[in-house]
Amino acid sequence: MIKIKELNKYYGNNEVLKEINMDFLRGKVYGIVGENGAGKTTLFRCIAGLENYSGEIISQITPLKNHLGLLFTDPFFFSKITGKEYIRLLCNARNKKNVNIDQKNIFDLPLNQYASSYSTGMKKKLAITAILLQENECFILDEPFNGVDIQSNIVLTEIILKLKELNKTVLISSHIFSTLSDTCDEIYLLRKGEQIKSVQKEDFKLLEQEMKDFTIGNRIEKLELK
Amino acid sequence: MKEYFDLQLVMTNRKIKESGINPALGYLLGLLTLVLLSEYIFHKTEFAKYVVILTCLSFQFRLSEKHRMDFLLSTFGDKSKYKIRVLENIIVCLPFASILTFKFLFLEAIILFLCSISIALFSFRTSLNFTIPTPFSKNPFEFTTGFRKTFLIFLLAYALSVIAINVGNFNLGIFSMLLIFLITLSYYSKPEEEFYVWVHADTPKSFLMKKMMIATKNSILLTIPISLGLLVFYPTYYDLILLFLLIGFLFLWTMILAKYSAFPSEINLPEGIIIAFALSFPPLILLIIPYFYTKSIKNLRRILND
Repeated sequence: MIKIKELNKYYGNNEVLKEINMDFLRGKVYGIVGENGAGKTTLFRCIAGLENYSGEIISQITPLKNHLGLLFTDPFFFSKITGKEYIRLLCNARNKKNVNIDQKNIFDLPLNQYASSYSTGMKKKLAITAILLQENECFILDEPFNGVDIQSNIVLTEIILKLKELNKTVLISSHIFSTLSDTCDEIYLLRKGEQIKSVQKEDFKLLEQEMKDFTIGNRIEKLELK
Repeated sequence: MKEYFDLQLVMTNRKIKESGINPALGYLLGLLTLVLLSEYIFHKTEFAKYVVILTCLSFQFRLSEKHRMDFLLSTFGDKSKYKIRVLENIIVCLPFASILTFKFLFLEAIILFLCSISIALFSFRTSLNFTIPTPFSKNPFEFTTGFRKTFLIFLLAYALSVIAINVGNFNLGIFSMLLIFLITLSYYSKPEEEFYVWVHADTPKSFLMKKMMIATKNSILLTIPISLGLLVFYPTYYDLILLFLLIGFLFLWTMILAKYSAFPSEINLPEGIIIAFALSFPPLILLIIPYFYTKSIKNLRRILND
């Protein structure tokens, strides 16, 4: 279990996360939604220990970072490293040796080609494969469905449900609401760094409608499209 | 087009500033280095003019990289793209053409100028489509990526060592060995993304040890053909060969530690000055290693658990 208590984060004088309180249990999938700049990625970076913050992040698994699979929105790849070497690098980093990478290449990636030459979707699939092979206990997936083809999105949804079945904790951010409603048990809504509400599965439809109303408002009219 | 060049200037100034130098001083130092280097090359070899021409062309080839040309085309259109590229190549060509002119190599300067303009009209793919095999795939990434970028220099170093043995020039043999170390040092000159440090389930100490172990193992693999060759053909100099090997490893460790002592920033002027001192007086390295080590440990504690 991961417990976030009174988390605040500033970049200079700019408060990007305000009084965040969240609980993430084992065997559950959590969605974090909000507009661009709402603080989702910063929250993930705080949980991963990549940012300084005030408040507390308590985890039953210690140190959390050594059991955390972290997928960034736009994973970075070195220019001359193959897909297989990338996976090996990430597995080695967690002391997971002798992983049969070829056999576990579920997205049929060209693993002997340079990762930097992959398309956006392929890069994301490679990064996902690597963190899955690390055998983590907790996963933070920042925009995992972005840029990935529809077939792989179906596979990815099934993977997330499998992780839940295996009693892992999964945190996802996504701008595609349907992917969250398919996988999540609870969704937290962030707005300008503030935790607005948390919604259980039965109220996802209401949340989606509320977000739509709030986001669209009269913006389209402002364009005065002709 | 003016905005484009203004922006290039701003970006260059920022890069110089980030390395800890005042931009004006940076340009002055750059010019001074170029003059001194060219003087040195012209003093050392009769092929200096070719070195100057090839260096200039290699910079210009990089500017003609396909993705870059595509970007210029999509942003500025066909006509402006060529204008920008011609102007860029002229700017790059000027210092090199000036060196040739000062050496009374007028024909070469004119040829270089014309080549510079011609190159601006074409785009080139600078990356190969096939994967270069490396012996370091089991432990990515510094040596894996580095080897692929610099394997031609290794071939040159091995060729030099063969020549050294054939002509009986021990110093050249040692130089070829040090060249290998120099290349491997460059693999640690730039910091990686924070994620690639964070991902390690290590303490700062074990992380650094792991990095140094892998670097040592891999550089042994790269230097062994030369060091063995030298030991076989110059057995009486075994102590010198081992000493230079040791110095090579010490500098490699220093570089790794310097990198992580500045992490996530790049190695800056202060670290650079310390390394330069060590290069001019190698025994200093015995003080520098513990200094960088302590600084690295402190620095890595932020993202790695103790």
